Amino acid sequence: MSSWRQLSIALCAIVFVHSGLGQTYQGRELVKATLLADSSAIVPGKPFTAGLLLRMAPGWHTYWKFSGDAGLPTEIKWKLPAGWKVGEIQWPIPLKTNDPGDIQTYGYQDEVLLMQEITPPAKIDISPVKLSAEANWLVCEKICIPGGANLELELPTSTTANPKNSDLFARYRRLLPQKFPDSKSAIATWSRFNSELRLKIVNDNLANYPTADFYPLPQGDIVVGHPGVESRKGNEITFRIPIESPDKNLSAMPGLVIFSKFPNGNDRAAWQLGTPAIAAAQATQPARGILNFLFFGFIGGFILNLMPCVLPVISLKIFGFIQQAGQSRQKIFRSGLAFTAGIFAWFLALALLLIALKAGGRDVTWGGFQFTNAYFVLGLSVVVLVFALNLFGVFEISLPQSMTRGLLASSDRKDNLGSFFQGVFATVLATPCTAPFLGTALGFAFTQSPIVILSMFVAIAAGMSAPYFLLSAQPAWLRFLPQPGPWMVHVKQFMGFLLLATLLFLLYVLGAQRGLDGAIWASCFLLIVAIACWMKGAFIVPTASATKRTISVVILLALVIASGAYFIGDKFQSSKIDIAASSASGDWQPFTPERLQTERDQGHAVFVDFTAAWCLTCKFNEKTVLENGAVREAFQRHGVVKLKADWTNGDPAITKLLQQFGRPGVPLYVLYPGKSEEPIVFPELLTKSILLDKLETISTAVASQ
Amino acid sequence: MKTKLFLTAITAFAAGALYAADVPPVGGAAPDFSAPDANGKTQSLSQYRGKYVVLEWFNPECPFVKKHYGSDNMQKLQSEYTGKGVVWLTIDSNAPGSEGNITAEQAKKIMESWKTKQTALLLDPDSKVAKLYGAKNTPNMVIINPEGKIVYEGAIDSKASPNPADIPTSTNYVKAALDESLGGKAVSNAQTKPYGCHITYKSS
Repeated sequence: MSSWRQLSIALCAIVFVHSGLGQTYQGRELVKATLLADSSAIVPGKPFTAGLLLRMAPGWHTYWKFSGDAGLPTEIKWKLPAGWKVGEIQWPIPLKTNDPGDIQTYGYQDEVLLMQEITPPAKIDISPVKLSAEANWLVCEKICIPGGANLELELPTSTTANPKNSDLFARYRRLLPQKFPDSKSAIATWSRFNSELRLKIVNDNLANYPTADFYPLPQGDIVVGHPGVESRKGNEITFRIPIESPDKNLSAMPGLVIFSKFPNGNDRAAWQLGTPAIAAAQATQPARGILNFLFFGFIGGFILNLMPCVLPVISLKIFGFIQQAGQSRQKIFRSGLAFTAGIFAWFLALALLLIALKAGGRDVTWGGFQFTNAYFVLGLSVVVLVFALNLFGVFEISLPQSMTRGLLASSDRKDNLGSFFQGVFATVLATPCTAPFLGTALGFAFTQSPIVILSMFVAIAAGMSAPYFLLSAQPAWLRFLPQPGPWMVHVKQFMGFLLLATLLFLLYVLGAQRGLDGAIWASCFLLIVAIACWMKGAFIVPTASATKRTISVVILLALVIASGAYFIGDKFQSSKIDIAASSASGDWQPFTPERLQTERDQGHAVFVDFTAAWCLTCKFNEKTVLENGAVREAFQRHGVVKLKADWTNGDPAITKLLQQFGRPGVPLYVLYPGKSEEPIVFPELLTKSILLDKLETISTAVASQ
Repeated sequence: MKTKLFLTAITAFAAGALYAADVPPVGGAAPDFSAPDANGKTQSLSQYRGKYVVLEWFNPECPFVKKHYGSDNMQKLQSEYTGKGVVWLTIDSNAPGSEGNITAEQAKKIMESWKTKQTALLLDPDSKVAKLYGAKNTPNMVIINPEGKIVYEGAIDSKASPNPADIPTSTNYVKAALDESLGGKAVSNAQTKPYGCHITYKSS
């Protein structure tokens, strides 16, 4: 090793040694560089293409415009006479290489042609013309060697020219990225997610390409991490692009969207998302995206009416319509408006709360921040019980006279206020039902600006209230509903039982959150509330004397406050449950991020069920699909580890993962096929066939390894 | 052929996923490490707590490293800042069998003939230290403050080239960050994209 001294002396010399057109290293030619044109002659004023052809020794590679974690892009400096113009380098789609140490680079192996358009002046006096260029590159295998060459291209001047080197130029032109298609066939949407950019591409042909990737072209000082596929479903793919430098306002990045049958396949094609495309994406495409999402929000809101958790309240409203069938058109319309206003009021309040929390940097998720809170569920239980008792006729809801006098001038205002609160109530019950469309729309909204969040919630409110608004605006349609009569009392009482059924569900949620003890203590409190309602109906009536009423009110309040303090403030508050233990039922294991990582590291396929006790869709999917015999058998046969992520109490680790998948809440079903493959995300309304299909694909993937 | 390609991609991806463990960000705590130096003495980061520490990833075969040593640029930086009490640890994280991997003997010879001025040259053939810091290039520079926080991470200077002639016209980020830090100021350019050869990690 006496060569160290020589090396140190010869450092700079080695760096720029090149003999003629080739670069040699330890006696071996590493890179052969040639300058070529696609034309046999130069026609004055007519542009042609020149190309730097680099032929690399086997195993050695040169770099793309963005070299990745190491390396340098090849440079070409033309020395052209005055009046000549040269265009940008047209970089063919590179290959992506992964080396140990998480080193990802973009470059070319074996051979590459870097093309540039050259425009000669309109008048050329000499022939032949000698054009020269200095090329510098870095060529690497295990070690990197810089190389360079001064090259010449000699072409005759003529009035006509024939194509030259056609095959070579054609081959590399096919490898050039294409312009991003117009918005009819493909849509690119950028969003920012903490320190990541998200790029969503929607295109009908996407499903034909098993491999898709994003090669970034960061500008300036931006340090970009390794882009990856965040989620992929049908004709949609979302890439995540981690930004490691603190560029908080960066909202998009130029780059290539790559498609191929195999990673680095020869069939690779790419769309260029350049600066202009980004400008367009920012200016027009999110607008289109937002319109789409607002539409989904509207549809989702409409569908909320059919969700099991809302149905009892909706039946109340239908009942209200029946009652109103004989009344004046104006009155019905006002009541419908009040109900609609109630729905809007709740959604707007939610939107403002979300915006405030988001601005405060809190993790906010749909359903989660309401239903993961046991006190919210408890409060809702009280409201539902009181409502039910009211329907049974135990007591009448009467607003204080002062309120009636002060706020309400005409007699039907009281009904309107009732309608308003019915609207609010229906919506409160609806929020945990992340209907399929709504999930997508909300997932989008949560990454957006306050204005977008607000308009999204308005769209949902509009969708949910649309049927009532239409019915009340067109009361002629109410004719199709039956005539009022004594039967209505029975229907009313029956609706009370529907609400009690809802109460059972809420108690079940409380039980899942706080255990049997918690549910019992909550029920004790509910019993007192029921007694209080009965006292209100029996003793606090206009016919009773003022003293009697006052005493009753005092006893009632004392009962409620004392029992609240004892059952809720003391007993309920201290009842806790070990969620991990409760979610490990049957062959399901409780989820932890570490557990997921361990199983994946060991090469196991993992299926994660993101669920919560209060999520009815989750329960439905579990019963009908996940616990189905054929599905259980398939899980077992493919050796899939089943993890249950129970979000009943809003576990922050699970919240984080949900967010990574762009989901505001449960359900979410994810299959991690193997160590190295992208996770597969299933639709919220899970079906047996989809699940079984995907399970079959992992068995083949495992087999081919 | 296709299967082979597929397998290569999979292995590479898996390796990537394994290595992609939490790399500390600028502003984060610098993970502690210990490694033997050219003299066989164990050097650890924690023993220099209370001082500014520069980490410099090294590969004597890499033209980008040679650019800064051949021009005496690196040696000048090393002597200037070690003279001001800064600890300068040069680290070779290249795996055995790859070019740039050196033994303690070779390390000593290089230090002598290149007249290097660092506090110590550490040998990290398992790429452990590189992995901890997510270092991928030579040279790759990290500056740690006396409280053990990373204050700079990235390139040595602004011109990503192997040409020593570019040094006089480049902005030296390490010098700028050290001057600001020692002057009690916040580092204005705390993260840049490192350039150079890739570190050949030990494939485990």
